[in-house]
Order: sequence, then C-alpha cells, then structure tokens
Amino acid sequence: MFTLDPHSGVPIYRQLLEQVRRLVASGQLKVGSELPSVRDLALAHAVNPMTISKAYSLLEAEGLLQRNRGRPMTVAARRRAIDSQASRLKQLAPQARQLVLSARQLELERKELHTLIDRLWESDND
Amino acid sequence: MTDASVIATRGLVKEAGGRQILKGVDLAAARGEVVGLLGKNGAGKSTLLDVLLGFALPSAGDARVFGEPSQNLSAASKARIGFVPQQDELMSLMSGAQHLALAASFHTQWDHALIERLAREWEVPLNRRIGTLSGGERQKVATLLALGHRPELLLMDEPASGLDPVARRQFMVTLLEIAAETNRTILFSSHIVSDIERVASHVWILREGEIAWQGELDQLKESTVRLLLRAEAEFAAPLSLPGQLHCELQGRTASVVLGDWSAERLPEIERATASRAELVPLTLEDMFLAVHA
Repeated sequence: MFTLDPHSGVPIYRQLLEQVRRLVASGQLKVGSELPSVRDLALAHAVNPMTISKAYSLLEAEGLLQRNRGRPMTVAARRRAIDSQASRLKQLAPQARQLVLSARQLELERKELHTLIDRLWESDND
Repeated sequence: MTDASVIATRGLVKEAGGRQILKGVDLAAARGEVVGLLGKNGAGKSTLLDVLLGFALPSAGDARVFGEPSQNLSAASKARIGFVPQQDELMSLMSGAQHLALAASFHTQWDHALIERLAREWEVPLNRRIGTLSGGERQKVATLLALGHRPELLLMDEPASGLDPVARRQFMVTLLEIAAETNRTILFSSHIVSDIERVASHVWILREGEIAWQGELDQLKESTVRLLLRAEAEFAAPLSLPGQLHCELQGRTASVVLGDWSAERLPEIERATASRAELVPLTLEDMFLAVHA
C-alpha cells in the first residue's frame, strides 16, 4: 500500500504521513479502512517501528486516523471521505513550488514544463 | 541520568598506547532504541563497545549500563546483555549446535524455540563444525549465541559485515522483530550506512573519538540539509552560515550543508547571500561524508 524508501533524505515517518494523507484525500483510503499495524508495516518494509509509530501518532493527532482498542487503526469517521479539490491541490503546493524553482534555475520556459507534465501525466495513465 | 537510560556515559575517556581513543564522550540510550553507531575505521567504535561491556576500563569519566558502572557490572546485569563481537571466538572443532548447548547450560533461561526458529530461517548449518563454515555462517552462529538468553541489551560490533545482501536483509528484519516485540535496546556498530539507515531509530556518529552527532535518525534527516544557493554574481569568499558543516563554491553556485536547518531560515539565508536557494534532502551517507569533510 505504501512506498517507503529508507535511503531517501526524507525521514520515513514523513513519507508515510504524506502518503496516508494523499490516500485519504483522494478517497482511496475510505472512512473505517484499516491500516496495517506498526509492527507489520515495519517488518514488511524492514524499517524501524518507531518511525512508523511516530507517523501514526501524528495522523491520529491530526484527526485523520483513529486508534481502536485491540484492533487496527482506522481512517477516522469525523472526516469527510474526500477533501475538496482545493485542499487536495494545496497538498501538492510544496512539491510544485520546488519543481517551478528547479525549472527556473534550468532556465526552462513555462510552456516546456507544461509539456513535460502533460507527457508524464499521459504516460502514467497508460 | 534517568531511570530509562540503558546506557549512559559522561565525559568518557579511553586512552591506550599514549593516545586518546575516546575523548570525553557523553551518550545515552533508552529502552526500545535501536542505535546505529557509525564511524570510520579507528573512530573508536569497538573501544566504546569494549568499555560498555567492561572489557576495558575508562581512563576518565563514567560509563553506566543499567545504572551500574560498566567496569563493575553485577552478574544479574551481565545476564541481561548479549554481545556479538566483530571477530567471533568460536571453536573450530565444535559444531554450532554444541556451542549453543554449552551456552544454554550457562544460563538459567534459554529460549530454545527462538533459536531453533532463527537457525531455520537463517539457514544455519548447526551440525557442521565451525571450522568448515563460511564467515557469514559463523557470524550467524555467534549471533544466535548472543540471543538465546533473550538479552534486554544487545551489543553488536559490525554484525552484518560478513553477510550477503539477502542474508543481511533477513538479519535486519530479525533485529527489528526483536526490538519491536520486547522493547529491548540494540546498539550496533557498522560502516554499512544503508543498514543503519534502515533499522536504526537513533544514530551516534563517532569522529576521531568524539561524538559528531547523536540523536533520532528522523531528526538528523530533518535538521541536516544541503542548500544549493544560486546568486546573480559569483561568490567571492566561502560562506559561513550558522550551523554550516560544509561549503563548496563553484562560480555563482554554492553548495552548503547545514546541521541545524529549519524552514524558517530560508528567507534570511537567501537575503544574506543574495541568492535563490534550492533545498536538497540528504541521505545518511551524504551526512556522514559532510561530517568528515
């Protein structure tokens, strides 16, 4: 369900945070969906359980996940199943800003960046 | 030192042959932490483990394990420790099974089921004489010997160095299982940065007998970044930003590694250097190299 890269400069808990947020925002993880236990997820990816449990705790504090006694964590019910388009778009803003910055530094035209994104978008849909 | 400290050192100095190998080291590890001890050859990793195990005496300062001075550990505390040395001391004419039976007889409690399961999973040929085993197989036997009494603190010196990538991955998963199930503490030295990056919750970086960094791996990754600064004009002199670990100039571009990064610093840095900054997250290996640059 998740892609965790321990050799990235981004801490594992942060990778997991962002992926859960995105899956919930897009409705791929629905209200009541169960998440793998800290232990299962840590062992499946061979990463330290503390970093997984940190992500889950932060998501619980955010109100996105709900802790259940003796049962797996679930996507919290209070939340609307799918975020508004605006809020989903906002989640992409940091990556987009970085992309724009890099494009400027490479002295690329806005149109060229659009073309690249369009091409990637299409190829990903195949 | 809090009660939660499994390992605690204060101003720990170790001298040998007129040379300071550890130069006043302050460290602490709590229950449940998996600490990766990282350093170049000769940085003092093995010496630190030797002092913690009571094999070597501190020349100055203090090293405590389970709250007791390491050079004077009670038998009860020793029974809570497991150790896998870099060079095993297995006897070549004995088999792994014989070693394990001998070790089990020394301990009041021995988890036969755990050892049998691990021996099966790791494919350890227990019935062959040690002398006929490969380096990796010997390392697995030595690790089983250290795990049978279910130690609360597991110390390992380069534990996976002799294992192939598949066996290393398997070994790392077992370490995580051990750490996760019983909230035990693991300290392992390695110069295989990718292993530490995967399983460690905390990292201690030793550089020439001093602690260059210690803390949570996640926090290390968040607070240490590379900034690529691109300015209008060429940089005239090397930069010296607060918390800077490393700086390289190339014309209008400066590559700076900062050790105390937070996002709020970005505008101030861009203003001070008259440049536009791009943030590049660093892997543990990048950080290790920056610390030693």
